[in-house]
Order: sequence, then C-alpha cells, then structure tokens
Amino acid sequence: MGKTFLIAAAVVSALPLVHARSAAAQAPPGARASDTTAAAKKFVAPRTPWGEPDLQGTYSNRTITPFERPTNVAGREYFTAEEVAALEKRAREQSGDEGRSKGTRGDVERAYNDFWWDRGTKVTTPRTSLVVDPPDGRVPAITEEAKKRAADEPKRPAFRGAGANGRGTDTWLDRSTFERCITRGMPGAMSPTAYNNNYRITQGPGFVAIQIEMLGGARVIPTDGRPHVSKGIRNWMGDSVGRWDGDTLVVDTTNFTDKVLYRGAAENLHLVERFTRVGPGEIDYRVTVEDPTTFTRSWTVAIPFVNTGEDMFEYACHEGNYGMEGILSGAREEERAAAGAKK
Amino acid sequence: MRTSRLALAMVSALLASSAVAFAHHSFAAEFDSNKPIQLRGTIVRVEWINPHTWIHIDVKEADGTTARWMIEGGTPNTLLRRGLTKASLPEGTEIVVDGYRAKNGTNRANGRDLTFTDGRKLFMGSSGTGAPKDGRDASEK
Repeated sequence: MGKTFLIAAAVVSALPLVHARSAAAQAPPGARASDTTAAAKKFVAPRTPWGEPDLQGTYSNRTITPFERPTNVAGREYFTAEEVAALEKRAREQSGDEGRSKGTRGDVERAYNDFWWDRGTKVTTPRTSLVVDPPDGRVPAITEEAKKRAADEPKRPAFRGAGANGRGTDTWLDRSTFERCITRGMPGAMSPTAYNNNYRITQGPGFVAIQIEMLGGARVIPTDGRPHVSKGIRNWMGDSVGRWDGDTLVVDTTNFTDKVLYRGAAENLHLVERFTRVGPGEIDYRVTVEDPTTFTRSWTVAIPFVNTGEDMFEYACHEGNYGMEGILSGAREEERAAAGAKK
Repeated sequence: MRTSRLALAMVSALLASSAVAFAHHSFAAEFDSNKPIQLRGTIVRVEWINPHTWIHIDVKEADGTTARWMIEGGTPNTLLRRGLTKASLPEGTEIVVDGYRAKNGTNRANGRDLTFTDGRKLFMGSSGTGAPKDGRDASEK
C-alpha cells in the first residue's frame, strides 16, 4: 500500500491519494488521516536550494467533503470507504439538474449545468467535515455581541455589501466584495468554492508567495522574522507574517479591514494557517480562526491541497463583469414596474 | 447490495443537507425566475471573458426580423480545463437556449441548458471532454 502510494503520487494523480486516505476511513476517532498512512509518516519533505521546506507547485483544494459535518453523520469523524465511493460516484454522474425545479429562484441561482462548474469529484479527505475543531465538525456559535452587530450592519456604511451575498441593490457598494471582483477575503480566498480552486506556491529565500486563481491576486508572505505592520494599517487580505516550524509553514494574519466580513468577523479576525507537505502531491492546509468578538471559541478547518500539475489561468474578473450592471439595472426595472403597478 | 443502498441513501441525504456553492455573482439577482425563456438562434460571437462567458446569438422573430441576444455562461477557465476553447463554438452554429430572461428587460438570458438543434447538449454528454452525463443526450443512450 505504501509503495503504491509513493509511486502513484509521484505521477501527481489524485486518485491514489484518495485510496490511501480511504483506508484511513477505518481509523479510530481522533486519528488524523495522514497519521494513519505509512507513506505519510515516511515522507520527507524536499528542501529548496537554500534549505527551507519546499512547498512549491500548483495545487487545487476542490473537494466534495462537506465544510461542516452533516447532521446525518453527527458524532462520526470519518466516512466509510463505501460512503466515499458512493459520494464520488454521485459527483461524477450528476448533471447539475438534481433537486432543481424550473421557475424558482433556486433554479436561477444555480445558473447552469455541471459542465460549467469545477467543484471536484473527489472526497479529498474521508473526514465527514473540513471543520476539524470543535470535535463536532461544526462552526461554533457566534457571540451575543456579534448577533447585535449583525442586526446593526445594514445601518453601518462600512459594512454595506460586506456580507457573503450582498444585501441591497441601491449601489454596487451594496454587493459583496466577491461580486465586485475585489476579494473573497480571508480565509475565504483559501477555501474551496464552485470553480477556479487553484493556487500556485512559489518560494524565494525569506518569502513564500501564494497566487490565487479565483479573483486573481497573490499573497506575499515574509518568513524572515519581521513583526506585523502597525495596527493602523488595515488590508483587505490582512497582514501575514510566516515562520517555519519544522517542515510546516506557519502564517499569522491580523490587521484586517472592516470592509470584508467572514461569517460575521471582520477587523478583529486573527488567523493562524499551517501548510505541511504530507506527500509528493499534497499539502495538509489548516487554518485556525479566532475572534472572541465574533465566535464563542476558536475553530480549525483542514483542507487538502492536491498538486494538479496543471497551469494556472488568469481570472481578470473586472474584464467583463456585466453581471453587476445586470443586477443593478434589473433592480431599477423592478422598481419602475412596482411604481407603475401602484398608479 | 443492501449496504450499497444505505450508502446511496446517505449520499442523497448529504446532497440535500449540504450547501451548494454558487457563481461569483448572484444569478437570481440578475435573471428573473418568473421569465423562463427558450431561444433558438445562431452564434454570432463568443465573448470568452472573465468573470463569465457571454454567447451572442441572432434569433429570428416571427415577423422575420432578427434580434441579437446575449447568453451568460460560466468562467472560461473551467472550459479550458475541460479541453474547450473559443473555437469550440464557431460562428454560425445553431443552438437552442433554455434559461431565464434578465430582469432589466434587455435581450439577455442565462444559459441554463444549451443544446444543438438536434438535441445534443453543448458541453454535456459524450463530447469526449469528461463532461457529466444526465441521460438526456441522445448519444448517451
């Protein structure tokens, strides 16, 4: 098994990784999938010419593993191998028509059939959720303070459009920063979505750069021991500083703005990411989300980044964002129609 | 087989309970679920652009005039990875579009389903590109 894993992973095939991980589906509760794979234990991460762990390559984090643990597998950390096979078969064969009723808002929101999407067809980790902490695999509850803030958000200009789907249609500022082609924020930009789930990691002495396909842009993370910039400097993607903890790149990010919301969190967000190469073709990526003003406890998500061996494509989102014009002009037309109906 | 059925039942439950990831902008805000539309037209241009492709077609009206329509599709990046390029949809190709009309009243719609006039689906079925199958394409039978 270990030998097969090494050979297969060397040709950058995602499938053997899943087989190796599927064996871990039988692992005792609490065991990490990678810990149970002999190949992962023996794997020695390569080094750059200047001696740092080498994470470089093009990766995808697309997965059909649920973000939060579904209620029907509550209390269970891993899918069985048979469940993994059934999930993957379903993902391969679905057309995008499943569960859709024509003439509904939900049908329009799903836009088109599955050919246009790239959500993946692999259970890249047999865990029943990408959320690995708390142990129930669910995002912890938000604080009372965060609930009050959420209720007041529409009145706060800085928060207009900060929500995931945007709220109003009075101005483009009402729409989300994702729709506006600005950013998905953090850790949104490192989380899988419906397509463009590709990342390229490049290193130089003292720096790690992560190019992100969805919406474009790159994170340039210093690993030379410098501190965070002044608290007065606020960035859409925060301020990231990195360090090496053995073979693991640890990235600490603070200094977020109040212009992007992540599940109710904004400028007080603090993220700690860990990138560990666990095999020739895979990085174990973990991000711990902390914001006592928003979440009742910190929580951690683990997402496999699988080497694709493919190129990145540019996603110059502003190029032809006719959708924004369509949304705003559509709302004006609906207002005119409503005003006409009143007369 | 009994356990297989159980596994499949669980998958169905999972699909029902898990959130569906959407496009980078809200299609429901742009297109009207009360205005489903079917168009039969000829491709005159494909805007192979980000964040979404737009296929321009000429549609013959009942009175003999021609109307130009724009159909919104997905990102070109996904199609490139599936082996399709701008040249895969040549000018002059006749297609049928099932979708929803834009709320702003212009000649725009989303391309929920795109088919050739003989019923074969564009971007689906046995085009040799690894596209998912749904059994509706004649070549899948």
